Amino acid sequence: MIQLFHVSKNYEGAASALTDVTFKVAKGEFLFITGPSGAGKSTLLKIIFGSEAPSQGQIIIDGRNYVKIPPKEIPLLRRRIGFVFQDFKLLPNKSVFDNVALSLKIMGVNPRDIKKRVLRMLSYVKLQHRANFNPLSLSGGEQQRVAIARALVKDPAIILADEPTGNLDPALSNEIMELFKEVNNKGTTVIIASHDKGLIDRFGKRTVHIENGRLVN
Amino acid sequence: MGGTGNLLYIFTDALRSLRENLITTVLTAITLGFALAIFSLFLFIFLNLNSTVSSLGDRTQIVAYVKDSAASDSARLKEILLKVPGVKSAEFIPKEKALEDLRRELIGHESILDGVDAAPLPASFEIKVMDSFKNPSQVTATVERLKALDWVDDIQFSQEWVEKFSAFLKFIELGAITIGIFLAAATLFIISNTIRLAVYARRDEIEIMKLVGASDSYIKIPFFIEGVLQGVLGGVFALIIMAVGRYFLLSEIPAYFSFAIASPVSGLMLFLIFIGAGVFMGVAGSLISLAKFLKV
Ligand SMILES: Nc1ncnc2c1ncn2[C@@H]1O[C@H](COP(=O)(O)OP(=O)(O)OP(=O)(O)O)[C@@H](O)[C@H]1O
Ligand SMILES: [Mg+2]
Repeated sequence: MIQLFHVSKNYEGAASALTDVTFKVAKGEFLFITGPSGAGKSTLLKIIFGSEAPSQGQIIIDGRNYVKIPPKEIPLLRRRIGFVFQDFKLLPNKSVFDNVALSLKIMGVNPRDIKKRVLRMLSYVKLQHRANFNPLSLSGGEQQRVAIARALVKDPAIILADEPTGNLDPALSNEIMELFKEVNNKGTTVIIASHDKGLIDRFGKRTVHIENGRLVN
Repeated sequence: MGGTGNLLYIFTDALRSLRENLITTVLTAITLGFALAIFSLFLFIFLNLNSTVSSLGDRTQIVAYVKDSAASDSARLKEILLKVPGVKSAEFIPKEKALEDLRRELIGHESILDGVDAAPLPASFEIKVMDSFKNPSQVTATVERLKALDWVDDIQFSQEWVEKFSAFLKFIELGAITIGIFLAAATLFIISNTIRLAVYARRDEIEIMKLVGASDSYIKIPFFIEGVLQGVLGGVFALIIMAVGRYFLLSEIPAYFSFAIASPVSGLMLFLIFIGAGVFMGVAGSLISLAKFLKV
């Protein structure tokens, strides 16, 4: 369902972040992307998400070429993808509840359903007691779980998570990973960027390794 | 699950964002109000001076004194005058009227005229010049043509005054247009910068909304509503600032100058113009500033 062909990315004024990356992710697959810091993991996820355009190459998702779709359709595609950003990207002037609700509001879900789904999601990430807090008053790990809740609450077809356990202790990390696994079991494609070797090994899922912007097998 | 989302929802959200950004909105509206008020006060002065100056210009007038021998046939002389290029109208002032006018001007000193019966002043024509002839060279040409008439005794006309007046008019207009351009540029600059800063302060929010899948219109609506509200508020502030400003100016400037800051339009009209201009600038400013941040 996700195919990348010879994708390269050169940021302006920086060395090449990705070079000739080609790989496929099947529908419902669970995939880890690993590699050292600065290898290009985040860049790869952003390109799949469509928030960065590749300098070269093609990206095909569900048979549609991402590079060629009209800008108007980008919001519709993004609604089908849940992205857990490495820097969370929470709205600082909105409560935790509103942050998680945002992705549902944008889709026009009715308020009663939003409330039900958001509260349920917050309890999955163990933050129901923080619903009315401001994200800035939460710990790093709590903020990360808000970001995860916001990505998962819309039941997306694809989950892209950038270091989703980077700020969590081992116990919480395991719980969050179980959550991703559960979502994956329901048919969602999950791609996780991580350099937590132990975690990846424990899961025993397919792993793509990048180094210096290139795929290494 | 609609494509653009539930409309009611978008609006309640817009209202909420309005409340969150109330201080910025009000500050922007005040800036807008000051800018509008200062610019229109200047515009008032310009328009009022301009119309006063051109009504002064209407008084450009030539007096042609008629030889006594010809004065009896005033109707024929008037016809001749009206055919002279540049003459708009001509009014005959017979000797008796000239004497009467003189008496009136000498109120309190009428005795000077005691014993004067047959008026000492000649009959005359008061001649008005066509608008298109109201520059020094053309007025002079008209005067020369009048002098050439054999029944005209003398011409009274202040050459110097016409020239000075015309130069003054040009100076006022040039000065006003220069100031006006600077003022308009400064006004637009201040307003667009204020709005840009307000939008800039929310760039992260805009980026996040886009990343979570909000359509451009979903993001624009709150800014649009805020732009409208800012404009209406700005219009109200402008009217208040204008009223207060005029009150103080009126007590400071000489009474004969107060006409200069009178509104050329009714209060309601002014209010509507302020609101219209405010809403236009508020909305256009917000949406233009926003466009840059929507490209995520
Ligand atoms: N917006 C940007 N502008 C310029 N260069 C960038 C930008 N984003 C990333 N890069 C560069 O691209 C390369 C890959 O960055 P990327 O964020 O994809 O690495 P990463 O594998 O996610 O690293 P980490 O594990 O530290 O998150 C780095 O050398 C980085 O400096
Ligand atoms: Mg990264």
